[in-house]
Amino acid sequence: MKKLQFIILFCLFAGIVSAQNNYILYSFKGNVSVVDNKVETKAKVGTPINSSATIKVQNGAAVTLICNEAAMFTFSKAGTYPLSKFGDSCTVKNGSVSANYVKYVWAQMTKSSGAPGSNRKAYMNTVGAVSRSINNIWVDPRLDTVNYSKGEFPLSWKSYSTAKEFDFKLFTHDNISTPIYTTTVTKHKIPINSFASKMKPGNSYYWVVSVKGEENEEIKVLNYVSKEDFNKVEAKLLNQGASFEAKAEQSYRLGFLLEDAHFLSEAYQHYNTAATLDPNNVLYRSTLMSFRKDYELK
Amino acid sequence: MSNQEHVPEVKEKKKFHRHITKYLYERDTIFASIWVFLFIVILGSIPLNLGVLNPIKLGLKDFDFNDMSYSKLGKASTTPIDSNIVIINIGQADREGIAMLIEKTASYNPKVMGLDVMFSGPRNQETDNFLQYTIDQNENLVLAAKYMVDTTDKLVAAGNYFLHEKNRFGYVNFPNDDKETVRNYFPFKSDDHDKKLILPSFTSSLLKLYDSTSYKKLEKKVNKQLIINYTRNYTQNTKQYWVFNGDDLLMDQVDSSRIKGKIALLAYVNTNPNDIEDKKFSPMNEKYAGKSTPDMNGIVVHANIISMALEKNYVKKVPLWLNLLIAVVICWLHMSFFIHYYLESHIWFHLAAKIAQVASALFFVWLGIYLYDSYRLKVDLKYSLIVIIMAVDVIYFYEAWAVWMHKKFKYDTLFKPHHH
Repeated sequence: MKKLQFIILFCLFAGIVSAQNNYILYSFKGNVSVVDNKVETKAKVGTPINSSATIKVQNGAAVTLICNEAAMFTFSKAGTYPLSKFGDSCTVKNGSVSANYVKYVWAQMTKSSGAPGSNRKAYMNTVGAVSRSINNIWVDPRLDTVNYSKGEFPLSWKSYSTAKEFDFKLFTHDNISTPIYTTTVTKHKIPINSFASKMKPGNSYYWVVSVKGEENEEIKVLNYVSKEDFNKVEAKLLNQGASFEAKAEQSYRLGFLLEDAHFLSEAYQHYNTAATLDPNNVLYRSTLMSFRKDYELK
Repeated sequence: MSNQEHVPEVKEKKKFHRHITKYLYERDTIFASIWVFLFIVILGSIPLNLGVLNPIKLGLKDFDFNDMSYSKLGKASTTPIDSNIVIINIGQADREGIAMLIEKTASYNPKVMGLDVMFSGPRNQETDNFLQYTIDQNENLVLAAKYMVDTTDKLVAAGNYFLHEKNRFGYVNFPNDDKETVRNYFPFKSDDHDKKLILPSFTSSLLKLYDSTSYKKLEKKVNKQLIINYTRNYTQNTKQYWVFNGDDLLMDQVDSSRIKGKIALLAYVNTNPNDIEDKKFSPMNEKYAGKSTPDMNGIVVHANIISMALEKNYVKKVPLWLNLLIAVVICWLHMSFFIHYYLESHIWFHLAAKIAQVASALFFVWLGIYLYDSYRLKVDLKYSLIVIIMAVDVIYFYEAWAVWMHKKFKYDTLFKPHHH
């Protein structure tokens, strides 16, 4: 009987041990360290890490781990992360190809093309021109041309380098050699209202952003539209609505049409109004969240 | 369940069974099926390219249903990292930087190194000498070249300034057009005139030094195109190969055990979808049909070939005769089913035929994907799908032909004049 108990206990112990997750440090940038058995060591790519270890991520650093050779997750914010709490990140969805085929075919067959207003991303295809240069900065093509009249709205970008500072330059449309405004920013965005005083309503401007000290030839357009001209555009769009339109519906429609017309700051205000007036409407809420994410409005 | 309850079910089964088998052995079914294939041969023999204005044909020129299994069905999404291979990202390093990276990688004692970089000509004398010296010092380094024929029609490996007779090399070019998906490769190429003149591919040269067993399996495949079994990817969201940044390596921020005794591939790698330098179209492209951008770094294609050879999971291609035989059987069964409806329930013929066509198309696409995924068996069901589509139209032609033959030569047929 004792032997049987021992075997059962042994099997249970072996099961627990084998169920532990195996982590490997896949990549990191910045200051990252691993604390294992109270010993802190500097992170090294490719090192196996015990599931009882803790990862320390300093400001500006990020680390990517692989769990059980399949699941991958990243810590990109500063903090201390005990791996024992991230066991659920090791789960990998693994449906069979046949089952996924049935799901995919069914989803495609039953997929509705939907109204444009219910899927702004599919409809907003009037993005900017092609660009051919390769550099460390990527600006969403939807920001290729921005019409702006009022409000707080950022021009944003992504960087493929680890640079922490970026040069932002603003030019008039007739002189792209001497900037009228230059600044260095540490974030991946700059609010338009922070330099709106340098522009005159009714004029077009060019802007360019680059990693500090580098050059970027990708020039984007910013049209500073006068309030009167914008009011005319807005009034025209307003009149296109149905007579029985509710206030929230109207705001959503205006937001959608203004976004399509590249009045992004103004569109944001209307999306916001729609979501505030009808907070239970999933479409308004999800569109606002998606818009915020797309244009770095956090 | 009692026998009485069982009777209607059995009857139903028999009824469905009869829909297909009732006319299976009739002369009309067999001859109509033959006409389907005759039509395919006749249409295919027209010496005009009628597909030139056909957007569907042009759009699907490089299309393979199996590609769908990567982008939409999750195939290979959970394949673990291949720890036999590490990729060192050379980034924008110049020749001096590349030489330093080779030296540094060599200090980690990999079993074999591959440098997937083409050097077009001389640059700075000093750095060129340094790089040449570094290359010559590392006997386990395989250089990249391109196979081509010279002015005397001789097969040569060229395109790399640092390649000399004593260096190991392998060609990195693929047999397809740059705008097409890379599906196949030649492990070895031989000269058209001198069969003893054989050039190895980049991956074959690496395998020769790394794993002689895997290499021996490949050795006889001269001038034979192998289908690449893509099992791993390296993108912004998927990391199924170890990729180390050259800077991290130079700063000793890499665990040496990951490189020691492994295959170290030095190449340019990037996950930026807008940077298509040295990127190829692969079956793993998220957009499997229509216009898209190259998605896979060239070195990841080579890494997939190496993984395939080491894991011995080659893709087997079903021969043409078997694909045609499958198409014949499928055509025969469908024709029997269609003729049944055509003669006995003509009012439902088109509805039943369209439903059968859609259901069969979905089934055979699944079958192709399933065989590829589970048994690495590539069946070309293109002919089967074509015969299913053509069978319905051919019945109308066959009816007219059979009636005419009946009048002229007393041809025995089930079709009557002015049947509908």
